[in-house]
Amino acid sequence: MSVRETRRLSDVSVMSVSRLFFVLLILSVFAVPLLVPAVFGVDGEDVAVLAVDRAEAEVASAYEAVLDAEEAGADVSGLLAELNVAGGYLAEAHVWLGLGDFDNATRLADLCYDVVEGVEGEAFGLESEAHALGVTDSVVRMVGSMVGVVVVVFLGFVVWRVFRRRYCRRVLGLRPEVVSGES
Amino acid sequence: VNLEDYRVLFFVGTLGLSLVAASPALSMAVSFGGGSERFSEFWLLDGLHRTEYYPFDVGVNESYGVFVGVGNHMGSSEYYRVFVKFRNSTQSLPDIDGSAPSSLSPLYEFRFFVGDGEVWESRLNFGFEDVALEGDRVVVGDVVFDGVVFGVDAIASWDSEFGGFYFQLFFELWRFDLASYGFRFHNRFVGLWLNVTVS
Repeated sequence: MSVRETRRLSDVSVMSVSRLFFVLLILSVFAVPLLVPAVFGVDGEDVAVLAVDRAEAEVASAYEAVLDAEEAGADVSGLLAELNVAGGYLAEAHVWLGLGDFDNATRLADLCYDVVEGVEGEAFGLESEAHALGVTDSVVRMVGSMVGVVVVVFLGFVVWRVFRRRYCRRVLGLRPEVVSGES
Repeated sequence: VNLEDYRVLFFVGTLGLSLVAASPALSMAVSFGGGSERFSEFWLLDGLHRTEYYPFDVGVNESYGVFVGVGNHMGSSEYYRVFVKFRNSTQSLPDIDGSAPSSLSPLYEFRFFVGDGEVWESRLNFGFEDVALEGDRVVVGDVVFDGVVFGVDAIASWDSEFGGFYFQLFFELWRFDLASYGFRFHNRFVGLWLNVTVS
C-alpha cells in the first residue's frame, strides 16, 4: 500500500467518523425530549401536580396578603374578584387532575397562576395606602378630639363663671339682711 | 339647691361633654362593639332558586339544576371550597359532631372568596349516564356535572320502605385556615336525596 493510498483511507475513515458523529448528534437532539422524562421521572401527571401545587400556594399567599390589606382598612373588593377568577381556574384544575386529564389540569393551573400572580403585589400596595390613610385619620381624630375637649372645658368654665356671677347677684340681692344681737 | 350643687352639676356636665368630644380619639383605643357571632351560611336551592322544586325522581340522560350558596359572616373575607360528593345510603356522610368530612372522594369542587357580609352562589347542573338495573339494584355508572362526566359506579339496592333506589348528592363546605395554612372542613353540609329511575 502506497503512502498515497494510506492517506486516502485515513481521510475516508475520518469523514465516516465525523458523519456518524453528526448523525448521532442529530438523533440525540430529537431523543432528548423522549429520554429526559424517562430518566428524571417527569411525566404529565407530575407536571400537572407541580403546576397545581404552585398555583395553590400562590393563591393562598395572595389571600393572606389581601387579608392583611383588608385589616389595614383597604377596599379589597377588586382583589377578591381577581382571586375568584383564579379560584375558579384552580377548582377546575383539581377536577381535571382527578379525572386524569393532566394537560387541562396544567393549563388551568397555569391560568390560575397568571391571574393571581400580581394580586399579592396589588394587595401590598393597597395595604401601604391604607396604612398612610390610617395615620392621617388618626392624626385628624386626635387633633379634633383635643380641640373639642379644650373648647368644651373653656366654654364650661366661661358658662360657670357667668352663671356663678348671676347666681351670687341674685342671691345677695334678695336679702341684704344682717341679724344683730346674736352671740 | 346651693352653689356647691351647681358646681358639681357643671363639672359633671363638662366632663360628659368632654368625653363626647374625645370619643373619636377614644374609639381608636377602646372598642365599643359587643362583637356579633361569626358563622357561615350554606344553602341549597332548586333550579328555580326556590325551595319547592328540588329534583327527586331523576331519570337517565336528563339534566337537573340546583343552586349552592354561601354567606360569609366571619368578620373578614374568607376563602372557601365546596366539595360535591355522591353516595348511596350506606356510604359515609360528614360527621358534624366530630368535625369530620365524609371519607368519600370529591367529584367536583368550587373555590371562591367571599367578603364579609357578602354571599356567593353558583348553579350546578347534573345528570346521570350509564345507569343499569341489575336485579334489585341500580348501578349508576357516570354522574355528569356541568357537562363533565365522572365515573362513579355507585350501587343502590331497592329501598322497600320508601320505594326507590336512593342516592344522595351532597355538598361539603370547607374554609381556608391560615393557622394550619390549609383547608379545614367547616362543619356544614347540604344534600339532596335522589331516586334514580330506570325506564
